[in-house]
Amino acid sequence: MPHENGSMISSKELNLYYEDYHALRDMFFEAEPGEMIGLIGPNGCGKSTLLRAINGLLKPSSGVMYVDGKDINKLNLSEIAKTCSNVPTEFPPDFNLNVIEVVMMGRYPHRKGLWWETDDDESIARDALSKFEITHLADRNINRLSSGERQRTLIAKAYVQEPRVMLIDEPTSHLDMRFKLEVMEYIRDLMRKEEDMTVVVASHDINLMVKYCDRIILVKEGHIVGIGTPDEIVTEKNIADVYGVDCSIFRDSSGEVIVHPRCSLKFKS
Amino acid sequence: MKEKNDSLASAGKARLLMLILIGSFALFSIFLISLAFGPVKMSLSEVWGAIVNIIVNGPQTGYERIIYYLRMPRVLGTFLIGMGLSVAGAVFQAIIRNPLVDPYITGVSSGAGFGATIAITTTVAFTATQSLYIIPIGAFIGGLLSFGLTFMIAEGSGGRAINYVLGGVIVGMGFGALTTLFMMLSDDRVHQILFFLFGSFTGINWNNLWIIAVPILIMSLVVLLYARELNVILLGEEQAKQLGINVRRFNIFMLVLASLLTAFCVAFVGIIGFVGLIVPHAARMVVGGDHRLLLPGSMVLGALLMSVADLIAKLAYVPVELPVGAIMTLIGVPFFAYLLMRRGKEYAA
Repeated sequence: MPHENGSMISSKELNLYYEDYHALRDMFFEAEPGEMIGLIGPNGCGKSTLLRAINGLLKPSSGVMYVDGKDINKLNLSEIAKTCSNVPTEFPPDFNLNVIEVVMMGRYPHRKGLWWETDDDESIARDALSKFEITHLADRNINRLSSGERQRTLIAKAYVQEPRVMLIDEPTSHLDMRFKLEVMEYIRDLMRKEEDMTVVVASHDINLMVKYCDRIILVKEGHIVGIGTPDEIVTEKNIADVYGVDCSIFRDSSGEVIVHPRCSLKFKS
Repeated sequence: MKEKNDSLASAGKARLLMLILIGSFALFSIFLISLAFGPVKMSLSEVWGAIVNIIVNGPQTGYERIIYYLRMPRVLGTFLIGMGLSVAGAVFQAIIRNPLVDPYITGVSSGAGFGATIAITTTVAFTATQSLYIIPIGAFIGGLLSFGLTFMIAEGSGGRAINYVLGGVIVGMGFGALTTLFMMLSDDRVHQILFFLFGSFTGINWNNLWIIAVPILIMSLVVLLYARELNVILLGEEQAKQLGINVRRFNIFMLVLASLLTAFCVAFVGIIGFVGLIVPHAARMVVGGDHRLLLPGSMVLGALLMSVADLIAKLAYVPVELPVGAIMTLIGVPFFAYLLMRRGKEYAA
């Protein structure tokens, strides 16, 4: 069910400073329910900062961030936890936790009892395990998983939080080709089932973003260079402007877009 | 293989019940054994008879007096302090997100050692009975002072868990150096200082047992109430915050609580190392990383390990009593070295 105002995420004139460093500049954008947004841009351009501004971990210096119709910075931590979830990028050292225990932590914001999870929590977590095909790993120590299995576990954790918006920072950075595709397919599949959940993914893998995202936000030095469909945003000119890379963009026989970086403009004579 | 349909909560409850049953049985056994063994030996049936008599008539015979006034508070003391240090260790490991830290990480032990040293070297004017309490009070204040300094340094440098580790190391070194200086300058009391630094349960009696029992029990129970939060905190400060925990407030609360708990544990018996490091570790291997099982498991295991170490300290070299801290360390070092070599790489956080 789309929200009354229409948009799931709505950012207006958002500015954020780290002391005197202007990290986010006048950010205006909206994301619709059911949309998958790809956040791309060079290292240090503000992608992760923007994700943290969406879920209220960072307070904007000016401007507003509405999520699901509510000003995220006026919600308390527990309300935010029920609105936004994010997939962790760091991973706990070995504390002998197993997969189901980690996934179950996603139910923490919805806790009812003092100590134990309820049967509802249990069935939601079991359901997530089967959605991400990690049921057979339920009792496995998370530090003994492959990278792909680990990423699915962490996404399952974010999923059982039952968020309106799911934020994913670099979901595929340590994965090989196949796992990259699989993780993105799981996310896409999830969105088909949860029709009005919005997903924002920040990544350096432009090909993957173009393939899976409905819209792309291109960020450079803290401001948004462009928002639009992958075709509109990922152009040779934009990539040259933002990344300083000379690239060629072409389509394979099935019509999929491929971005091929040729050389850094810095070294182009 | 567990049945897949078994709900986690009910499986957890069943395992917890099992843990409590086995734990109570083991603790009760070691309780009786500790009452029976000592420089004066008794059989278990004599002990049993003596306990019944003590309950019915109060301690009458020499044996009953030994059991009631010497051995009973002592074994209960080992239970309490083994439990308290293990709980504190588990809390520090979770908050600092490093399974290789111990309850002394925030400098409490060094501060307590220094406090005790000051008390020992300056208590010329006190009577013997007074000095029985002056040393623990010195240790307690020293421990808290040390944590207070660590706290100030850590909060001044960003307030993250790692700042507490670094602050604790610096403060610990400072107090350690001061203790060394005081020991050099008061060589007639070095033995007494070492006695504290190595740890011993000889000073535990009913009077001082009560003083530490109430706070240690209460603080351990409070920690139990936060088992789920301690689980979530393992995912990292940002994740925990994102799941709805006010991480800064929670961390400070837990660090203060665990440091206070540690200070109560060391006040009367001195600095007993390794138990707070090894026990949460071993418990994690047995019952897993969920704090709802890990904390009770650590409590039982900590009480058991401490009472066994004290029994060895008492009996290994009769009539001389060996320092329990040294015994514990001797048990701990090989275990710790094994852990480091086998799993050290995984701990790089």
